[in-house]
Amino acid sequence: MASIEISNAVKSYGAVDVLHGIDLDIQDGEFIVLVGPSGCGKSTLLRMIAGLEDITSGAISIGGTVVNELQPKDRDIAMVFQSYALYPHMSVAENMSYALTLRKTAREKITDAITNVAEILGLTALLERRPKALSGGQRQRVAMGRAIVRKPQAFLFDEPLSNLDARLREQMRTEIRKLHRRLGATSVYVTHDQIEAMTMADRIVAMHDGIIQQVGSPVEIYDRPANIFVASFIGSPAMNFLKGAYEVAQNGTAGIRLTDGSFVPVLPARGATANQAVTLGARPEHIAIAADENGENGGIPARVELIEPMGLSTLVHVSLAGNPVKIFTLDRPDFAVDSFIHIAFDMEKIHVFDTETELRLPPENEPHGPQTA
Amino acid sequence: MDGGKSVTTAMQAGKLPVERRGVISRRLSGILEPYLYVSPALILIIAVMLMPLVLGLSYAFRDIRILNPFSGGFVGTAHFQTLITDDAFLGALVNTAWWTFGSLLFQFTLGLILALLLNRDFLGRRLVQALVFLPWAVPTFLSGLNWAWMFNPVVGPLPHWFTALGLMETPFNILSDPDLAMWGPIVANIWFGIPFFAITLLAALQSIPKELYEAASIDGATTRQQFISITLPFLAPTIAITLMLRTIWIANFADLIVVMTNGGPADSTQIVASYIFTQAFRRLDFGYASAIAAVLLVLLLAYALGVIALRRAMTHADS
Repeated sequence: MASIEISNAVKSYGAVDVLHGIDLDIQDGEFIVLVGPSGCGKSTLLRMIAGLEDITSGAISIGGTVVNELQPKDRDIAMVFQSYALYPHMSVAENMSYALTLRKTAREKITDAITNVAEILGLTALLERRPKALSGGQRQRVAMGRAIVRKPQAFLFDEPLSNLDARLREQMRTEIRKLHRRLGATSVYVTHDQIEAMTMADRIVAMHDGIIQQVGSPVEIYDRPANIFVASFIGSPAMNFLKGAYEVAQNGTAGIRLTDGSFVPVLPARGATANQAVTLGARPEHIAIAADENGENGGIPARVELIEPMGLSTLVHVSLAGNPVKIFTLDRPDFAVDSFIHIAFDMEKIHVFDTETELRLPPENEPHGPQTA
Repeated sequence: MDGGKSVTTAMQAGKLPVERRGVISRRLSGILEPYLYVSPALILIIAVMLMPLVLGLSYAFRDIRILNPFSGGFVGTAHFQTLITDDAFLGALVNTAWWTFGSLLFQFTLGLILALLLNRDFLGRRLVQALVFLPWAVPTFLSGLNWAWMFNPVVGPLPHWFTALGLMETPFNILSDPDLAMWGPIVANIWFGIPFFAITLLAALQSIPKELYEAASIDGATTRQQFISITLPFLAPTIAITLMLRTIWIANFADLIVVMTNGGPADSTQIVASYIFTQAFRRLDFGYASAIAAVLLVLLLAYALGVIALRRAMTHADS
């Protein structure tokens, strides 16, 4: 196992830069998830670590060795592809043993390794089958097995679960996580699915437009997003955003005046000045439906547009100052569409973003934490 | 009024049988209908394929010479008995094998190399891909004439080049040398047939997922090992089917030979197909020509069945 250091890595195709100077240190044994929308450069970064793409400038080292000029086979890494990329003309056992055979490993050692890994992944009964005789989930397992058998320094996963159905994906998520705990291997996992990122990662690397937006633990990223992009990308249902102006009262209390004139009190934000254009960010679970029409907690009237029952919870879609706002509740509200309800924001948990720079303005009482912008 | 009434009664009386007849004819037309729809194709196949085949096979057992008004009688297996001892036929049989596998080997090897080259990225790749197809688009007899001229020391450059390279002592026409003549049509046929293999193999190459090569390069396979464990297994079905098709086509493909050497000199480039042509249309002995054609048919049929059996065995081993 090994650590991976990426320093100022740039990737360009001709005049187009797809990665602008990536810096990232991955600890030995860490499970890192690169997350971001399509085209953010996360797969390119993974392929650069694997050696499938050249590094335009900067350096990548694995286990302390700079690997820029090394062939993929000499980097001692294993990769699981989205399409699994199993060799269709080889049996499951041959697929898993191919790398070892090429390395001229002794036959008994190969057999031992295969038996062992097949047992871990529940593939023992399938060893003689061809990939086309396997289900999607089984193929995924074989692809994992092929990576594990080699005992590489690091595992690279390129959206390995996106070809599976929802239930299987959920199951494989837990299995990969358990496997990682068992093997303790350094892993880099690329996905566009923020739920995979939240549930699997030791640390999440949120990427957008070839730039790392934020690096942090799932909870850190969820609770203290560095900017509007991270706040909107992580979390489902997504965070609500409302534009307004920052206001500070005589007594030191602060708030945001929304475009329709309603006022939402917030914790005083570090670096915010009066009348600065700011964006209020509130997760659906941090908005309460006020108990009475008088609107305690500074309740604001909002028009009900849609009620989405999700079983465990209910999602209430309302319109506030012309903006759509989603509210998460564990109750079973039965509001009529187009009726008005009063909603209240949880002052402790909502965020203030600078509308211009899109950066989060943390509350003054929040300790200075490590943040990447 | 009465008359009108009786008509109505008669119509009512006749109603039941008419209905029953309707059921039968409907069932009958239900059976016949599908045949009606396929009949244009069926009639065409019977008229232009099955009939000539049966007729041709029957000729093999009859004495049919176009210019002999007394011919036409049944001669049993006499043609086949002559055939066994016909040195020209046996020579043509050997030449056919030589012509077929000589052409095929080079067409395939060079076509595969060309396909592998065209599968790489380079500037103007699409244009080159289109140009590669050109020989296939040139009418065969024009190709044949051009190649015949190129081998001719009076008008063509090839003998002079061969001499310059030290392959020939003095420029001469290999088409008039019984030992070398077969190479003339074979070279023309190689030039003509490479595009077929290049294009079909290129299509097969492009259907191989790129991730497989990436996975293999991470697993540590060299380019040669990737070719053996990924490219070849993927190409195998295409290779099998194109080799079989081309074998049969080339074995029957006498055009280039007829145009370039006309089977000569001294029958040294006569293949079975051109021998059939000579017997039927030069000597006008349709009976004997049909017998040769029947033998060729059986040989090619046996070859095709052999290849299909081999292919089936391979695909069964696969799954």
